[in-house]
Amino acid sequence: MRKFLREPLLHFLLIGIGLFVLYDVLRGGNTGAPREIVVTEARVEALAQNFATTWMRPPTAQEIGGLIDDYIAEEIYYREAIAMGLDQDDTVIRRRLRQKMEFISEDAAAAAAPTDVQLQEFLAKHPERFLEPAQLSFRQVYFSTEKRGEQARVQAEQLLTRLQAGRGPADPAAAGDPTLLPPDMHSASPQLIANTFGSDFAAQVAEAPVGQWSGPLQSGFGLHLVHVDERVASVLPAFDQIRPIVLREYQAEQRTRSNKKFLDGLRTKYEIRIEGPVARPLEQTGTSTGVQGGGAQ
Amino acid sequence: MSTRTFVLPLLAAAVTAALMIAATPFVFASDDVPGPPTHKIQYSPYPEKNFPNRVYFGDTHLHTSYSADAGMIGNTLGPDEAYRFAKGETVTSSSGQKARLARPLDFLVVADHAENLGLAPLLMASDPTLMATQFGKELRAFVDKGDLPGAWNHWSTTKASGKDPLAANQDVYRTAWARLTETAEKHNEPGRFTAFIGFEWTSAYERNNLHRNVIFRGGKKNADTILPFSAFDSVDAEDLWSWMAAFEQKTGDRLLAIPHNGNLSNGLMFDDVTLTSRKPLDRDYAARRARWEPLYETTQMKGDGETHPQLSPNDEFANFERWDKGQLGPAPKTPDMIPREYTREALKRGLAYEAKLGVNPWKFGLIGSSDSHTSLATTTEDNFFGKVSAVEPTADPIRFNEVIGGIGGPPEAAQYHRQASASGLAAVWARENTREALWDAMARKEVYATTGTRLVVRVFGGYDLAATDLQRSDFAEQGYRKGVPMGGDLKTAPAGKTPAFLIRAQRDADGANLDRIQVIKGWLDAAGKTHEKVYDVVWSGSRKPDAKTGKLPAVGNTVNVAEASYTNAIGAPFLECYWKDPSFDPKQRAFYYVRVLEIPTPRWTTFDAKIYGIALPKDVPASIQERAYTSPIWYTPR
Repeated sequence: MRKFLREPLLHFLLIGIGLFVLYDVLRGGNTGAPREIVVTEARVEALAQNFATTWMRPPTAQEIGGLIDDYIAEEIYYREAIAMGLDQDDTVIRRRLRQKMEFISEDAAAAAAPTDVQLQEFLAKHPERFLEPAQLSFRQVYFSTEKRGEQARVQAEQLLTRLQAGRGPADPAAAGDPTLLPPDMHSASPQLIANTFGSDFAAQVAEAPVGQWSGPLQSGFGLHLVHVDERVASVLPAFDQIRPIVLREYQAEQRTRSNKKFLDGLRTKYEIRIEGPVARPLEQTGTSTGVQGGGAQ
Repeated sequence: MSTRTFVLPLLAAAVTAALMIAATPFVFASDDVPGPPTHKIQYSPYPEKNFPNRVYFGDTHLHTSYSADAGMIGNTLGPDEAYRFAKGETVTSSSGQKARLARPLDFLVVADHAENLGLAPLLMASDPTLMATQFGKELRAFVDKGDLPGAWNHWSTTKASGKDPLAANQDVYRTAWARLTETAEKHNEPGRFTAFIGFEWTSAYERNNLHRNVIFRGGKKNADTILPFSAFDSVDAEDLWSWMAAFEQKTGDRLLAIPHNGNLSNGLMFDDVTLTSRKPLDRDYAARRARWEPLYETTQMKGDGETHPQLSPNDEFANFERWDKGQLGPAPKTPDMIPREYTREALKRGLAYEAKLGVNPWKFGLIGSSDSHTSLATTTEDNFFGKVSAVEPTADPIRFNEVIGGIGGPPEAAQYHRQASASGLAAVWARENTREALWDAMARKEVYATTGTRLVVRVFGGYDLAATDLQRSDFAEQGYRKGVPMGGDLKTAPAGKTPAFLIRAQRDADGANLDRIQVIKGWLDAAGKTHEKVYDVVWSGSRKPDAKTGKLPAVGNTVNVAEASYTNAIGAPFLECYWKDPSFDPKQRAFYYVRVLEIPTPRWTTFDAKIYGIALPKDVPASIQERAYTSPIWYTPR
């Protein structure tokens, strides 16, 4: 049975059914008499249930009356609109239907759960997508160039000499200037260090020696002495540790593929002609890439 | 510049779309949702301390293709892409352009319009797991007979019978909402990135913006027990609060709601009467509003909401990214509406309400967010992807000239996309990057707004704080021990004591220097009249306030408009200050919030002009001073 459910032919059949139903609905599909609106007991119950889902309580008799009136109004408007052809060439309706079709194809893609073997193969194929970033633990002492001017570097170097000789103060950070920068970071990724201290500093501290005081490093805020306690290289975690993430990435890729395959399949049913002079696409100049440190690529 | 005016009624189309969509959930199948990844917590400093030690930046207000006014008008990126972009991945935008954030966000709330989430029934027939059920087989029988309408009817009537034909197979019952919550769950990585579950309740009472974003503290399990409350259910926020209360009671989870764009509410956001019953605000209303709406989104794409020149004529920085022509619809603005639309005035009037009712309805903290409808949370001037996909970066005049406010109204009510603000961000002081820690910080208002940059600001207020505490390396510890952080409360001052404040601000690590720090005080006098005063408390360079006016001279401007560049030759990377209120009256209710100004930098329109070689629009400035607004600290005498 399970195997049968994974059968692509079945998926295709079901999608086909979907298309027919969609077509029928689009045409105002209703099997009743054209001028008859029957609000079935089941419909009323459905309205009540929808209400209850939202309001977390059942509707009162008065509210039910309102829901039914509203449903009737909607049904009338809906049928009249279809009869008047208001659904034709409506961008909103067209887009909504397109979105539904995409949902169908995505659901078909998500239907079959991948096996661990498939996921491990995916991981082996794209290790770069699952790398744990490098980690750095360090302490820092901040010297404000605003406050100390040229003395900032001199004084930083003096403190460095003392620290390197093991003659530094017990709390080296207190010898620096007040700041909102953290005095230390533990197991921080290069991205986090860049977010906090700026990208210049992040690049420098990545090169600083481990197990000793060094510097001064220059950041946008001033000068820093740093003590790198530990540097852990970027690693690929074991599959068990990152299975949910591998699954997420696998499914995302399947979804993209499935959408394309679905559309390509449908396209084969159509002969497509583009008439008239095709407008020259606007020259691609790229996006507003950041002049000041960053932006879109 | 072209004088053609593009009046594509995007938002009108969106509203139409929202109205046209039926409110029945659709169904789809999916695999089990993986739990949150078991990553090692990346960063957990100062394990011996227990106070918030880091600021996290995020967007609490992002729309994806699941929102009618995004997905129906060109946005093809769903929540998955939105989270990927926020996490720093390169994403191809709906207009086909590669986009990336220079620095990833720490958290994101995908807040799609609730009105879009209840969709017409999707074609459940695509779901193979359904075929394993008795109901599925019955359905199949119709199909085999070639009776497709029959299959459809059987589906809808059986589902509507109240007896759930698929009760034993809940996997089949996933809705668009479930898809959103599932995506949030997949991208939520505690310690590394927080993906909140949320939605936008889009009340547009007579086209006036009364929208609220609702944010869940918990996860999918509780969220999936409901469908988001929509404006179809009610346009009155009081009903939203009742709904939130019912959800909390039912699930034990927590919710908060964040209103935004009072500037487009035509006087309704901070009105003196309730929305539908038109009764004067009473104590019960005030208590509920304060309970459910601890924050206000004060700056975003559709204008800055801190204050207005009409309300703050002595504040030379009040006229910032102003959107005051009307609403989203056609009704123009009149001056009488302005006092009921802006943050500072609401905070002041809140003091008066508290004196009158015993509860302050508008005791809220401040955040910024984007309200971007492109699935791309871009908030910096050099990377602005626009309000909607149709106005993503392009040399085409649509990007500047598209009407996005005052739609269908007179020309004087129109707001054009060139006036859209590349703003803002929500900054949250917390101990770790998790849903719980960030949500709790929001609930206690230990947050601030920025207009899109990541400048850092920290404030403590208290009676025992000393000037020497400012210089201490354990500054924050002293602040928490002797005072309260932003968002906090000061009770009746001990005899002879005056509130003192420790303030530190640091520029964006890769951004522009700071111009100054200001304290903005609002208070209520004995006669029940409200007042405000802006204090320059510390500034860069050796400027002296003008002897006559007391005004501090402007910091200068290094912006090269032609090159869309600036330098940090002026301003300071770090400012700090110990400040005592010089005119403190222990009997008067008051609030204090901090505004930090950066030096002028190029506006996004200036980047556009440089990159595309087009003319600068005339009605927006070439450079702006980005800023932060902290949540207030309130002084409430007993």
